[in-house]
This record gives sequence, C-alpha cells and structure tokens, in this order.
Amino acid sequence: MTHPALDIGLTHYLLVTTTLVAAGIATILTKRNAIGILIGVELVLNAAAINLVAYNHFAWSAGKGGPAIEGVMFTAFIIVLAAAEAAVALAIVLNYYNNFSSVDVDQADSLSG
Amino acid sequence: MEPRQLIETLAVAALFAPLFSAACIILATRRVMFKSAGVLATGVMAGGFVCSVVALVTWLGLDDTSPIVTNIGWIPIPGSEAGWLYLGVLIDSLTVAILAMVTGISMLVHLYSIGYMDGDPRYNRFFGYLSLFTFSMLGIVLANSLLMLFVFWELVGLTSYLLIGFWFEKRGPQLACKKAFVMNRIGDMGFLVGFGILFAKLGGNILLPAVHGGMFDAIRAAVEAEGYSMANPPMWLTMAGIGVFFGAIGKSAQFPLHTWLPDAMEGPTPVSSIVHSATMVAAGVYLTARIYPILTPGAHLFIATIGLITLVMAACMALVMTDIKRVLAYSTLSQLGYMVLGLGAGAYSFALFHLITHAFFKCCLFQCSGSVIHAAHHQQDMRYYGGLGRKMPITMICYGICTLAIAGASLPFTSIGISGFYSKDGIIAGTVNYGVAMQSLGSWGNLFWIGPTVVAYITVFYMARSFALTFLGEPRDKHLHEHAHEVPWTMTLPQVCLAIMAVIAATLPFLKLIEVSEPAIGGEAVAWMQPTEALGDAHNPGMHATHAYLLHGLGWIIMLVLGVVMYRPGMKYAEKIAAIPGINLLYHWAHNKFFFDELYDTIAVGVCKLAATIIALIDKYLVDGMVNLAGWVTRQLADAVGLFDQRVVDGAVNGAAAMATSGGQILRSTQTGRVRAYVLFLFASATVVTLVVVTVVLVSP
Repeated sequence: MTHPALDIGLTHYLLVTTTLVAAGIATILTKRNAIGILIGVELVLNAAAINLVAYNHFAWSAGKGGPAIEGVMFTAFIIVLAAAEAAVALAIVLNYYNNFSSVDVDQADSLSG
Repeated sequence: MEPRQLIETLAVAALFAPLFSAACIILATRRVMFKSAGVLATGVMAGGFVCSVVALVTWLGLDDTSPIVTNIGWIPIPGSEAGWLYLGVLIDSLTVAILAMVTGISMLVHLYSIGYMDGDPRYNRFFGYLSLFTFSMLGIVLANSLLMLFVFWELVGLTSYLLIGFWFEKRGPQLACKKAFVMNRIGDMGFLVGFGILFAKLGGNILLPAVHGGMFDAIRAAVEAEGYSMANPPMWLTMAGIGVFFGAIGKSAQFPLHTWLPDAMEGPTPVSSIVHSATMVAAGVYLTARIYPILTPGAHLFIATIGLITLVMAACMALVMTDIKRVLAYSTLSQLGYMVLGLGAGAYSFALFHLITHAFFKCCLFQCSGSVIHAAHHQQDMRYYGGLGRKMPITMICYGICTLAIAGASLPFTSIGISGFYSKDGIIAGTVNYGVAMQSLGSWGNLFWIGPTVVAYITVFYMARSFALTFLGEPRDKHLHEHAHEVPWTMTLPQVCLAIMAVIAATLPFLKLIEVSEPAIGGEAVAWMQPTEALGDAHNPGMHATHAYLLHGLGWIIMLVLGVVMYRPGMKYAEKIAAIPGINLLYHWAHNKFFFDELYDTIAVGVCKLAATIIALIDKYLVDGMVNLAGWVTRQLADAVGLFDQRVVDGAVNGAAAMATSGGQILRSTQTGRVRAYVLFLFASATVVTLVVVTVVLVSP
C-alpha cells in the first residue's frame, strides 16, 4: 500500500500534461525563434501523447475490464507524426532562413493584410 | 339601217378608230410594230374619216335635224332628275361638220408624219400618241354632257403634253410641255369653277345632255325658279359662263393664258399642225359653242373682249418674229382671237365656220413649214431662208394658197373669194353689228370691229412677209439652199389636199350645217341674247354687202404687195425701220412677246417663290423648332434618367462595393502576418469555445 500522496491517478497525469501544454503554448507565443516555436509545438504534442497513454491506462482499460492498446497506438502515431512534422518544420525553417536570412518569425509578416 | 342610227354608229366608229390604233401601237412591242405603226394609224384614221364623211352625207339627207342623243346609264346617281351618270354621244349638225374636219385633218397629219418622223427612234410611239390625241378630241366633239366633255378635255391636255414633250431629251420641249400643261390647268380650274356654280344650282341635273330638253332646260328652270328670266339672267349664270369659258381660254390659248401655244412649237411639226388646227385649240372654241345657249350678255362681252385683245396682240407679235413656226403660232393665236370674238359678238356660225376653214389652211401652213424645216436641216429662222421656192415648188404653191386663204383673199369688187374670206368677213360683219348694238359702251364699242378689220390687213402683211422671206428672193444661206430638196410624197400629198380644201371649203356645206345647228342652240330659249337679236341678219350671207369689201378687196392686194416687196430682199428694210427711235422700242416690245413670260415669271413665279420662302421660314423656325424642342426635352429627360442611373443605381452598386471594401479594411487588420499572433488567436478562441462548451454542459441539467 503506498502512501496516498504517492498514489498516482489520472488527475496527476492530467495536471502534468496541462502544465506541459501551457508551457508549450507559452513557448510558441513568446519565442521569436522558429526553432523555439518548434520546441513549443513538441511540448504540446507530447502533452497530448501523455494524455492518451494516461486515459488508456486509467479510463479506457478500466471501462473494458482489461488491458487496451488503442491509446498506446495513437501515442505511437503521434511520435511518428511528430518526427515527420519536425522534419517538415525544419525544412520550412531552412527555407525561411534562405529567404529572410533569419529564423525570427516576427520578420515574416509579408502576408499582413 | 335607219339613217339616224347609221349616223350614230358611224360617229362612234370614228371615235373609237383612233383609240383602237393607239392601243395596238402602244401595247405592241417595238419588234412587232415599229415601221408598220405609221401605216396602221393612218389607215385606221382614214377609216374614221370615211365613217364621218358618210355620216355627214347621210346627215345632209335627213329631214329631221334635231340632235341625236344617246344615253347609256353608267353610274346611278340617286336623287337627281337625270338619275344616271350617262355615257353617250350628242350629234347635231355642228358635231357632224367638226367630226369630218377633225378626222380628215388628223388623217392627213398622220400621213404627213410618216414622212416627217421617219428615222425617229420613237417612231411608233409618236403615232400612238397622235391617235390618242385624235381620240380625245373626237371625244370632246361627241361628248353628250358637260362632265363627259371635261373627261375628254383633260385627256386632250394629257396627250398634248406627251406630244409637245415628245423630244423630251431636249431642254426646250421639256419646258414647253410643262408650260402647256400648267397653263391649261389654270384654265381648267376656271372650267371647274363654272362647273361648280352650275352644279350648285342644278345638282345632279348637270349630268343631263347639253341640249335643249336636257341640261339647258334645267338651267332655264333654275333661273326662273329664282324669279329671273333668260332675258334678265342672274349673276351666277354669267359667272358660270365665264368660268367654263376660262377652260376655253386655256385650251384655245387666249389672252392671258396664251403663252403656252408659241412655246408648244418645240414639239414635232406634225404636232404643231394638228394642235393649231383640228384639235386642242379647236376644243376651246367648240366648248364655247356648246355652252352658247347659257352665255349671258355679260359673258358675251367678256368673251368678245378676250378675243379682241388676243387677236390684236398676237398679230403685232407675228409681225416681228423671225422663226417661221413662231410666226404661224402667233397667227393661230390671232385667228383664234377672231373665232372667240365672233362667238362673243354673236357671229356664231361664222366663228365656227372660221374654225373649220382655219383648220385646213393652218394645218397646211404648218405642214409646209415642217417641210421647209425638214429640207433646211432643222433651221427654223427665216433670215437664213430665201429662194427656197425654186427647190420646193409644191410646198411653195401650197404655202402661197394658204397665205391667200388666211389673208381672206377675194376678187376685187366682188364677193367671190377663197374660204378664209367668207369666214373672216362674216366675223367682221358680226362684230360691226355687235359694236353698234353695244350702245352701253358708247364709242368704245367701235373697237370691236375696228380691231379685227385692221388686224385683217396686218394678217396679210405678216403672212406675205413669211412667204417672201422663205420662198422668194435670193438664197441668204448658200449651204442651206444647196442641200434643200422637195420632201417625199407622204408629206406633199397632205399639203396639196389641205391646200385644195383651203380653197374650196366655202363651197362645201359646212356653213350650211353650222347655221342649221344655230337655231338648235341659239333658238327660242336664248331670245334674250340681246346683241345677237339686234344683229338681225348677222349670219345672212348678204351681210357681205354691208361690209366694205371694196376697200378690203384692194386692201389685201396692197398689203400683200407691200409685204412681198419689203421682205423679198431679206430683212434689210425691216431692220432699218426697226432702228428708228420710238419704233425700235415697239419692235423690242413685240419681239419679246410683250414681256408676258417675264411678267408671269415675276408675278406668278415670284409669288410662289415668296410663299415658298415664307413656308421655308415657318418650316425652319416653327416645325424645326418643335422638333428641336422635342429633342431638347428628350435630352433633358435622358439627363435626369442618367443622373438617376449614376447616383441611385450605380450608387447602390458602388455602395455595396464600398461596404465590402470597408468591411475588408476592418477584417484585414486581423491579418497581421505574424505567426505568433495567429497562434494566440487560435488558442484564445479555443479557450473561449472550450469555456463556453463546458459552461453549457455544466449549466444544462
């Protein structure tokens, strides 16, 4: 029997992921460096991945009365997707740099109305 | 066949003969009928002549000389005594005489035209017109009512227009035929006014035949119904007579509508010869004779005055003309003046007898002049002639005989003369009586016989002048004289026939026939014709005894010799006389035809031009003004509509666009282009949506 304070449940996971998402959004909003923004996006994605795993473990498996793998599968997809996204994003950043000689996203306001 | 029926049949046959040939010629194509047109028309016309001569001879054998009247109801006119608009013929002894004269002369003119028109590109058409012209004239002669007469009257006007303008490629004939037509229309308007007066008084009865027992009785009844009598006629009857006579002024080329006749010389010479003798100008005199019973003393005075003015004026002009056809044209005017004066003065028989005798010798004179012109290569000026008698003896003899005829030649101190002598002398005798009878005019009445007597001598002089200038003396144009030659037989034969007729016409029963017709016309019903009544034996051949033919018998010889002597060497004496101060003005005046053309130009044409100018101004300012006003109003309306379009319709469209633009302006401010801003919006909106959804889910039960 563990200490109740150490009895980690779904809520704890959700608190962690909420923190992660908030950090990621904050990073996206505050960072001017494109790479920084990419890091923020990765944070948000990982928060989502943790959420899926947590729900899979606590809510979905419990509901089914046995182990389930759907959440884990989605998480695997997210990891693969994040890798692909990072590759594409880095290609964009490279192109961006070629065009603007910078990775500062605030300088890219050509689409301003 | 019963004689009267035979006469009627023959007259109708003579009437339709020229129409038949005209229809054949005009309707047939050029290939079918070109050269044969002349022979056909002449042959048919000869048939018509034979018919009318047989009719004349039959008539002479009749005991009953009352007029033959045939009526064929054509259009029913309800409410009139006549009841119908009649077609038909009216034949009395005057009709038979004129019929024979017209068909005879027309036949000879047709024959003459075969030679004269030879080589003309419209040879066949000429004969078509000529036959139609003859048909129209015969229609006038035979017409039974005034209305039918008017129909043929207009046909004569039309066909004369076609014939005078036959050579329409040339400027002269174009103008001449228009002038003839317009002048005749002016006269015809008077005719219609007279017709209208009679129509107002008689109504449908004007359609009755113009004989006693017909229209004349209706007029008499109308006069008596108003409390007048034929001895004391009302004003409207005088006006009606003068009105109808105005038609005769136009057709017979009397003053003041005489100017068309000399210009009608522009037509081919056969046309001149028939217009100046048997048709057209004869029509006016014939019309006056036909309405003779309704002419009041006032109308008689008017007619006599017009005749007097015409005969004096035309004789003066004939004295100075150098164109051979113009001399003859003015002599025609003058002789027509005699006839009209004779009719006005009550010398009815002699006026109409003069119509017939004049027709023969004037037709012959024109044919001779045509032959001369033909031989002289269309040179018409007598100053270039001279000595042509040696080259054209037949023509010279014919011309000479007819000169004597028109001069009224007689053996001195006897009453034996050529045809023109009897007719003209009878007219002068009648005018003497008229002048004496018209006591209300005082000594002015004497003008009525002094005029024609003096002009008789002038006539001899100017005819001797034209004869001497043309045929006698030395040739003044060698080239012309060398090429001159006698014309073919088709042209000399009619001349010879006409010259013979000119000599013997007085021995033929024409005068007798006309005198028979006079009681039928001027009989009991017109006993009120005071001047005629006063004449007593004006138409008695014994009247010649009262006339100073002793003087005349010597006078015409003196004038003839004077004319020949003066003009045999050409114009040199005449030019000297014409150069004398005073006389030169007269000469100039007469040579320019008394400036009548200029006068009419100034007055009639000037007034027309003035009226046209005024109308043009009205057109310019009033009519154009209205049109422009309409245009201006339309333009203003269009401006208003344009403004509406611009402001309201376009405004709506532009307003929508402006709203879109401003909306776009507002919305574009959100498009900053900054990635982080977009992300902020994204998350902020996601947060808001989430909050809303959560709140709704929580609040909802």
